Amino acid sequence: MRLNFCYQDKGTLIHHLNPFVKLAWVSSTVLLALIFEHPLYLLLLFLVTLPVVIAAKGWPEWLSLLRFMFYLSLVIIIINSLVMYHGTHVLLEFTFEIPTLGQPKITLEAICFGLGMSLRLLAIVSAFTILNLTVHPDDMLLAALKLRLPYKSVLATSLSTRFMPALIDDLGRLTDVQRSRGLEMDKGKLGQKIRSRGAVLIPLLSNSLDRTVQIAEAMESRAFGAGKTRTYYKEIKLTPLGLTQVAAGFLPFIFGLFLRFKGYGGYRYYPSLQRINLNWLELTFMLILIVLLLAILPLAWGSKWELKNWRRG
Amino acid sequence: MIKLQNLTFTYAGSLEPVLKEINLTITDGEFVLLSGSSGSGKSSLVRCLNGLIPHFYGGRIRGTVEVEGWVTINYPLAKLATKVGLVFQDPENQLVTTDVEREIAFGLENLGLPRPEISKRLEEALDTVGIASLRYRSLSELSGGEKQKVAISSVLALKPQILVLDEPTSELDPQGAEDVLGIISRLNDELGLTVILVEHRLDRVIHLVDRLIVLEQGKIVADGHPAKIILSQYEELDKIGFGFPPLIFLRQKLIKAGHQVNDLPLTVKQARTVLETFFRTVKAPPPRLDKKPSGIPVIEVEKLWFAYQKEPMVLKGIDLRLYQGEFIAVMGRNASGKTTLVKHFNGLLKPGKGKVLVNGQDIKKTTVAELARQVGYVFQNPNDHLFADTVEEEIAFTLKSLGFENIASRVNDALQRFNLVPYRKQYPRFLSGGEKQRVALASVLVAEPKVLILDEPTRGMDNALKTSLMQFLKEYRQQGHTVIVVTHDVEMAAAHAERIILLSEGKVVVDGHKKEVLSRALLFSPQINRVLQGFEKYGVPQDILTVEEALNLLKEEGNGSVDHGG
Repeated sequence: MRLNFCYQDKGTLIHHLNPFVKLAWVSSTVLLALIFEHPLYLLLLFLVTLPVVIAAKGWPEWLSLLRFMFYLSLVIIIINSLVMYHGTHVLLEFTFEIPTLGQPKITLEAICFGLGMSLRLLAIVSAFTILNLTVHPDDMLLAALKLRLPYKSVLATSLSTRFMPALIDDLGRLTDVQRSRGLEMDKGKLGQKIRSRGAVLIPLLSNSLDRTVQIAEAMESRAFGAGKTRTYYKEIKLTPLGLTQVAAGFLPFIFGLFLRFKGYGGYRYYPSLQRINLNWLELTFMLILIVLLLAILPLAWGSKWELKNWRRG
Repeated sequence: MIKLQNLTFTYAGSLEPVLKEINLTITDGEFVLLSGSSGSGKSSLVRCLNGLIPHFYGGRIRGTVEVEGWVTINYPLAKLATKVGLVFQDPENQLVTTDVEREIAFGLENLGLPRPEISKRLEEALDTVGIASLRYRSLSELSGGEKQKVAISSVLALKPQILVLDEPTSELDPQGAEDVLGIISRLNDELGLTVILVEHRLDRVIHLVDRLIVLEQGKIVADGHPAKIILSQYEELDKIGFGFPPLIFLRQKLIKAGHQVNDLPLTVKQARTVLETFFRTVKAPPPRLDKKPSGIPVIEVEKLWFAYQKEPMVLKGIDLRLYQGEFIAVMGRNASGKTTLVKHFNGLLKPGKGKVLVNGQDIKKTTVAELARQVGYVFQNPNDHLFADTVEEEIAFTLKSLGFENIASRVNDALQRFNLVPYRKQYPRFLSGGEKQRVALASVLVAEPKVLILDEPTRGMDNALKTSLMQFLKEYRQQGHTVIVVTHDVEMAAAHAERIILLSEGKVVVDGHKKEVLSRALLFSPQINRVLQGFEKYGVPQDILTVEEALNLLKEEGNGSVDHGG
């Protein structure tokens, strides 16, 4: 099944939420995933993204991404356990030697470390998915401008995402063209395979270059780069309410920093796994963190953001 | 007012000028049709008008281009954009943002206009083109015709006095093209905008314009009111392969046969008045003996259902039998399932439900590569086929992929058959449009498939290229092979196909001889048929589709010596 991983206005409250609030919330979640090491905290961060994904009706896209992430996690765990031998609980030991690494052995600690890192990655990807699925690319552009990024760079980025679907269509069509001429992509030796890919990638590249020139022509023909001051028809307005929401979006991160400062959320994998024993205080802190993170749902429900637009007052 | 004086332009890196000594004055409010074969310099000429030449495309320029009193070389592109609006061919590659409102605002933001002014102009631009209902839509949801309307509207927002359109309909289906041309004509009529339109399909616009300019090899070879040009320069333009609409072709044939035709019909309505006397006395010829298609089936489709995703169904229970030696046109609106259907014929798609047999072989059990020796597939854009360093290698690639022997001699044969010998060592993508088309065809036909599928082969093609492509297809069929074209080109189907399969919403609505399918319809009939529909009362047979057939009809009646040689 082909899914659209780009923005679609599904009209949910999460879609209508001010992009700055979402940006703050996603940054918070991602930063938390980076400062926490404890697998339980990472699992918690991953889990809190789920209700938001569901509220944004991004479930099918998210699930298919998760399938990909699952394989990626497997690769991380396998590679990590093959190259990290610091653990003390040896599950399997090989008799040969790898230069510079020594005699390979698979340890419980290395597998767990791989699992922990996968959880961290899952939480980060899941958070970014929300941003990707619910913020209109043009709003992302406006938000980036508001953050004082240079217009031309922001526009170039936004254009490259805008033409992504066209590029994917091109790739499908060009593959069909060469398959119709009898090309079998995955047949033959490496050299032949590379040449087969070339049959598709060369036209893809030339078509993209043609497209670039055409877009540039069209932009120039509509006064692109006319004056020093460009105006913007739409603007993301940050009302006092919006500002409060942005602050609320950052609150979990601030609280997380406090927890880390207090010594919570760390974890030791090597040489042997640290025992997990939670006390009531830590459980309460975790609960507070969950509440702060999930506060985005009532925030979305409580308000709708408005594009500032003079015509509409 | 536009004034070009002794304009000569050569692209950087090229020796031959693309425009040669052009002198031209276009007054305010004129509707000008710019025509000419591919590579004649039309696109370059329109790019001179808004300053893309020489500001965007470098090169050597001589002479001057003056627009509304401004000499373009002295003004930046951004300023010129407020004088001349340029709309391009491909609706996909001229839109910058993601929704209609922002797209129209893009140019206005570039000009740095204050927000209230942008709002005002946005409203006007939406209403002028009549797309207010699309205002909040995302561009990716729009049809090609709608996107082109947005492009026009976004250019109009800059309030240019001159609107230039470079083949705006060549990527659109007939309905989309009709809509867009209607809007262009209205802009000229009601707002007095100067319009310069580049267009291949003359029958759609020739009656609307005040002036026709024909370019050939960078020079203006005809300039004046269309009727005047046709009356004075028909022979000359016909020689260089200029594609006159069928009505005008018929009139000239009648005159050549010694008939007196007083007026020049540019529309179906006019033609009915002008030609009525000729068809008043025609008696119906003996009824045509209809042969049901028969022979050896090459492609059999049984209860074919297909969907790309779970929903929606694109093909809904198609049953078909295509026979050896047929010329079949698959027609229908956009998204009716035409391309999806023919992609099953070479195994690019596999049936969801049902069966497709190619020469008795179930495509589910074969690979595309195996089928490539039996079924060739030529895609719309020849560029998509080309990737090798030389023409020779491009053709040899297919043979190598399919494991042929005697590759060198087969390549030589193909080069000769497609007149590509002089280009054998050249880089295919640098060839002209017609040459590229021949390389693409050669790269498919070198495998000697018995069935050839072409997807929209005539889209955006000029008349001369069309004629030569059809000649190739004729020769190919004479060897007993089957041709299947997916097309919107009614005139081409009427002239060259035998059998028409009309699809709608994933189902075959009509499947029959072209004389049944293409006659008595409204938009789906060729021009000549639409004229003769008005003469039914005189017993004129209603299944006449082409100029030749119409002339034959008169000849059979002994109506003078009508020469019907093409």
